[in-house]
Amino acid sequence: MTSNEANEGEVPSFSEIDKTIHEPARLMIMANLFVVESADFLFLQRQTGLTWGNLSSHLSKLENAGYVAIEKEFLDKKPHTTLHLTDKGRTAFQEYRESMKQVFEDLPE
Amino acid sequence: MVEKIDLKKIERKVYTSYHEDGLIDIFAGFLILSFGVWIILDMAWMGWILWFVAVSAYAAAKRVLTIPRIGVVKFAPHRVKALVAIAVIVFSLFALLGVVAFMQVEGGGTPIWLLFAIENYMLVFGVSVAASFCVVGYTFRIRRMYAYALLTLIMFVTGHFLYFPLHYYVILLGTLILLFGLAMLIRFVRRYPLSAADTMGGGGNDEQ
Repeated sequence: MTSNEANEGEVPSFSEIDKTIHEPARLMIMANLFVVESADFLFLQRQTGLTWGNLSSHLSKLENAGYVAIEKEFLDKKPHTTLHLTDKGRTAFQEYRESMKQVFEDLPE
Repeated sequence: MVEKIDLKKIERKVYTSYHEDGLIDIFAGFLILSFGVWIILDMAWMGWILWFVAVSAYAAAKRVLTIPRIGVVKFAPHRVKALVAIAVIVFSLFALLGVVAFMQVEGGGTPIWLLFAIENYMLVFGVSVAASFCVVGYTFRIRRMYAYALLTLIMFVTGHFLYFPLHYYVILLGTLILLFGLAMLIRFVRRYPLSAADTMGGGGNDEQ
């Protein structure tokens, strides 16, 4: 039995926390998309208060992780970007919430 | 920070943002107001036309005023389903009540509950409208709907004792809500001025 296995269940494992979600801006994006079916880029920008470039770069990371699906189309000859959490993203967010809850519950007062 | 992730709060913020344009207030106020006018003029066809106009105008205003300013969001389907389910249940109950009342009146006597409802029509109307506001407020997480429900109850309970005609209160309530909605719309348009970059939620991560 390794020391890691021996400590399992006693000490919260911070290394298990999903770092893609853990970053505050991405966490905000994930949380906002979690409570809706889908939203467009502008709506998410208004909700999170992030700049265009910042939101765009965080969305790229979430898309690369397979957490967010980005659909682009043209409406009235204008570009329109719709975003929604993938099943993988929803599961990852739920797991992240659970693991963070566990981490904080396990910490001493 | 992580400890403070309150999904209910985030969900409420999403709903609040989407309805901070005041259009739902204008829509509700207009419907109530048109009902009051309908009572005065006693023209049912005009009521239906006004309702059709209100629904069309609401959809068009949302598309022209709100979406270019704050974007588009599709809410979780369970909320919409809940509202539809509530509407179906309420409509079925009223239909059932209507059928029962009709059968009892046809049977040769007005039931006591119907006499009570007719006698206290002001209270019945007030409670029904207030309940509708509460249902909309709960389903779409719009807290000011509860304030409208309270306002409705106060007005119609007062009206029950003051003996003014029903349409006075209906028109007053509709006007107040409509004006509040207009004030919200003006604030919303000033708060989110249109810019070329904002239109239609465009952009996205094009730089990749």
